[in-house]
Amino acid sequence: MSDLNRESLRDIYKDWGLFGRILGYLKPYGFLVTAVIVILFVVSLLNLAGPYLTKIVIDDHIRPSKMEGVDRIALLYLAVLLASFGGQFLQTYLIQFIGQKVMFDLRTQVFAHLHKMSFSFFDRNPIGKVVTRVVNDVEVLNEMLTSGLILIFNDLFTLAGIFCIMFYLDWRLTGVVCLVFPFLYWATQAYRVRARDALRKNRAHVSGLNTFLEENLAGMSTVQMFGREEAHYERFLSIHREKLHEDLRSLQYNALYVPSIDLFNSVGVGLVIWFGGGRFVQEEIQLGVLVAFLQYLQKFFDPVRDMAEKFNIIQTAMVSSERIFELLDTPEEIANPPAPLPVRSVKGEVEFEKVWFAYKDERWVLKDISFSIREGESLAIVGATGSGKSTLINTLCRFYDIQKGAIRIDGMPIQQMRKEDLRRNLALVQQDVYLFSGNVLDNIRLGNRNLGIEEVETIAQAVNSHQFIDRLPYKYEHEIREGGESLSMGQRQLLSFARALAADPRILILDEATSSVDTETEIQIQSAMRQLIQGRTSLIIAHRLSTLKHVDKVLVLKNGEIAEYGTQKELLAKKGTFHKLHSLQAQSHI
Amino acid sequence: MSWNHLRFFVSYLIKYRIGVGLGILALLLTDFAGLAVPWILKEFVDFLPRSPSQIDLLGFAGLLFAAASIQATGRFGWRKYLFGSSRRVEFDILNRVFGHFLILDRPFFQRLRIGDLMSRATNDLRAVRDFMGLGLLILVDSAVVISACFILMTVINPSLAFWVLLPLPLVSILFFSYVETISRRHREVQEHLSVITERVRENIAGIRVLHSFVQEEHEKEKFRELCREYIIRNLRVTRLFGVFTPALVFTIGISGLISLWIGGRAVIEGSMTLGDFVAFNGYLMQLSWPMMGVGYIINLSQRGLVAVSRIDEILSAEPVIRDRAGAVDPGTLEGGIEFRDVSFTYPAAASPSLIGIDLRVNPGQKLAVTGLIGSGKSTLALLIPRLYEVEEGAILVDGRPVTDYPLERLRRDIGYVEQNPFLFSATLRENIALERPDATREEIDEVIENAGLVPDLARFPEGLDTVVGERGVSLSGGQKQRVALARALIKKPRILILDDAFSSLDAETEEIILKRIHTQVRGITTLIITHRLPVVRDADQIIVLDRGTIMERGTHDELMRVGGLYARTCRNQALAREMEITLQ
Repeated sequence: MSDLNRESLRDIYKDWGLFGRILGYLKPYGFLVTAVIVILFVVSLLNLAGPYLTKIVIDDHIRPSKMEGVDRIALLYLAVLLASFGGQFLQTYLIQFIGQKVMFDLRTQVFAHLHKMSFSFFDRNPIGKVVTRVVNDVEVLNEMLTSGLILIFNDLFTLAGIFCIMFYLDWRLTGVVCLVFPFLYWATQAYRVRARDALRKNRAHVSGLNTFLEENLAGMSTVQMFGREEAHYERFLSIHREKLHEDLRSLQYNALYVPSIDLFNSVGVGLVIWFGGGRFVQEEIQLGVLVAFLQYLQKFFDPVRDMAEKFNIIQTAMVSSERIFELLDTPEEIANPPAPLPVRSVKGEVEFEKVWFAYKDERWVLKDISFSIREGESLAIVGATGSGKSTLINTLCRFYDIQKGAIRIDGMPIQQMRKEDLRRNLALVQQDVYLFSGNVLDNIRLGNRNLGIEEVETIAQAVNSHQFIDRLPYKYEHEIREGGESLSMGQRQLLSFARALAADPRILILDEATSSVDTETEIQIQSAMRQLIQGRTSLIIAHRLSTLKHVDKVLVLKNGEIAEYGTQKELLAKKGTFHKLHSLQAQSHI
Repeated sequence: MSWNHLRFFVSYLIKYRIGVGLGILALLLTDFAGLAVPWILKEFVDFLPRSPSQIDLLGFAGLLFAAASIQATGRFGWRKYLFGSSRRVEFDILNRVFGHFLILDRPFFQRLRIGDLMSRATNDLRAVRDFMGLGLLILVDSAVVISACFILMTVINPSLAFWVLLPLPLVSILFFSYVETISRRHREVQEHLSVITERVRENIAGIRVLHSFVQEEHEKEKFRELCREYIIRNLRVTRLFGVFTPALVFTIGISGLISLWIGGRAVIEGSMTLGDFVAFNGYLMQLSWPMMGVGYIINLSQRGLVAVSRIDEILSAEPVIRDRAGAVDPGTLEGGIEFRDVSFTYPAAASPSLIGIDLRVNPGQKLAVTGLIGSGKSTLALLIPRLYEVEEGAILVDGRPVTDYPLERLRRDIGYVEQNPFLFSATLRENIALERPDATREEIDEVIENAGLVPDLARFPEGLDTVVGERGVSLSGGQKQRVALARALIKKPRILILDDAFSSLDAETEEIILKRIHTQVRGITTLIITHRLPVVRDADQIIVLDRGTIMERGTHDELMRVGGLYARTCRNQALAREMEITLQ
């Protein structure tokens, strides 16, 4: 359901609903939006003043042949021009300002929402797709706001303004012009329905085309290794052709509709010439009025044409808004409780009580898991691949929510804590170390930004990282590039230990790396690990027998169930799996 | 650069010359009909004082309607033909780009990321289309309307035209200072957007770490900071842009003022008719749109040319890896592989990944490659089917350099299974029968059996018709790897490369699968890259790579006697394996 797939959603979001939601983002800027609308109104009026002033000059000055007073009108004209200049600048700036603010709100909201998503969401959705939502789709929406939505007011005002002036100039002529309107309305309706259909189909094809393109780029070497180039080109072509077809169809509608406005326009002008000319002859109307009326009438249809163009922009932007809202509507699977328990720092008692967990349906990955660790104790978890070791850790960090049973820290169920409070008391060291771009220092103090350089150095020394960091060209200031590729596996491991130590958690969770490193590094890692678990409640997924030596308790998992659990001593006495492991260890001397 | 990119446009203009020609013709028609309208109105106004009859009035109305009809037809024409051609050009370019993607090689895709390529194929392509359609339209339109208006105004009253047009050069001065600054500020916005993109990407890639270290708030704040900076940069562009268009309107307004002033006097003095005056003003007003259009063209063409250069970077990229002239297909491979003193450095890498590799595998033999992460194992494998080109030394298959084979032959007869295989969002059947969509049911069943997929398939309600990927079930890592194996086996390859191909399976399953391949597919040469040494103890030859060189080589027994890295790792793993077995 929360997969970002587009096919299913075409019917979920209705255009008007989307529209309303987008408008909702304008709400906080209600004042500015109102200001822009007022300015737009003023600017439209100012732009309309030109022909009117021309009319006055013709009727009151040129025709009666008296130039006195023209200076005043000229000055007025200049003032109008200046005001219009200022108004237009302000209008452009404010619209962009609002658009940018809305984009900021939307983008930070989407970004924050991403951080609420569970890991299963990221398992399902490729990174590239999610990034596109936050970056490109928001950008498109901004374009729609700034060059579409707000400017429509401009058109509406101009339309209304011209209509009022025409009405004021001569209401009878205006009435004649109105005869055209029903036909204009009919044409607009006919266009809207068809264009909408074509644009909607087009946008479905566009997203299909992009998906196909993206997928093929990602799997290009597979396509090539299996010689599928021609077949995939054909597939691409057929999707692309459908898209072109809809493209041309919507173009056709547009090409028919927009010129039809010209015809309506000319019919209107023709009517005015015929009717108005007759009235002039009968001296019922002044020449200036007629000229001004004709000039206004010609401007009247510009906004209509403009709105037809904006309709296209808005329709295209709807795809993006659909995608964004779909992401925002993906529910937070693991939410904070409404009334969380107050947690400062915990002592570090961990307890699992009859825990059941499945990623999907009833395929249980953890079955009836119960164990407890006291403050400062360490527990090793061993088990075959797929026995549920990593899952167990993921549920403790509340990356996934368990279905049955309870996980408690210091006696408090973790579901009743805020996730942040819970995780602040845990430190997780993963098998695959992820390093962020930035320097070594920032990567170490990821969980504790207040540490000074000396403190970080002490920490690094404690987990055997200082040596190699000191050999880096810029030491702690050394910039780690994408994914930390310049560091070896062992170094990255040690760095992640330093990171955990810097966070200084009460509970440490460590997923031992399986990859082989050279012996020297191995020894360093082992000693660093001992340092790390010292005095902390620790859960270690052990892949090395040697690790078992240093822990208080051992838990053996088999197919999601506990096979053996207890202190080293108890388990040895049992002579079961652990006993065998122990004797293996004894033979190996590592 | 500009000329080359312009040529790119011109080639498409020539291809669609009929459409474009018709479009321009229609545009000219529109423009001239549009220019006729003020003239008709002028005649009408001048005629009015002479008490025209109903017939005369109807004549004017009819004339106007005729002009408007021509204008409307023209408008329909240019929309259909000019914009239609631009859509077709877009269609052609995208097809060409996609077609070119298909022949480009790995070094190219290593250099340019998918996000970048997608943005070129969508955003940049749109800019090119706009330049071809809208840009061409406005260019022709502005040129025609501006010059026609100038001429007509001059015809009506030369001295008035002179005074009125005087402020306009101001505009061009405004332009030149404007263009450079705005393009710089524009670039700054674009650069910052990439920073934001990268930040989002990194946040998602490292989300587990961020969450376990409770860094959400910190990251959100940093992101807000970036977005704030983005607003600032965008508004810098706006401030410039916000001045530009109003300034043009203002200039035209000033011209109108001059016209009113001087023209008004001229009418009173009788040196100009009222109708002339009205028409003159009409033409002046018609100038405002094409003047704005000039600014628009500058914007469009700038964006269009940048976009073309970005698309052209794709189209002009030459695949390094392609068939040599005179490459002869010798038919099905036998499967012998030989490396002769091969060294290899990745493009843009500082140090070599392979140094002086000598290696020989006879047809039907099994070679195991092992070593620490980053020691060059995968690189070695990638070179055989020519996913990268060797620069030093030579790789031979059946005694012939790989470069002498047609790529198709190599890729058909070499099965390559990687650790993270790419599956398409299609059914399992389509994914498995990728290379041979015509594969029979028996053939598919056989590879499914050999890849150990039968129990997994039984669990999917729709079996082979289960859709994987985007809209279907997501497969587990181990399932994906086995589907990839099945996909490779159905090709009936002569050489099978397994690049850590079963890392998500347990050792036992891996061993079973490997055994089955060897008994079922007779005489196949296999190259197994693995960290699990016990699995390959029966290999004919084992090599241990270390920092690009072969450090140890021999059979299992030989290497155990040497007591090096192999022996040590092997003992550790045997131990771990026993641990695993104990735990099972």
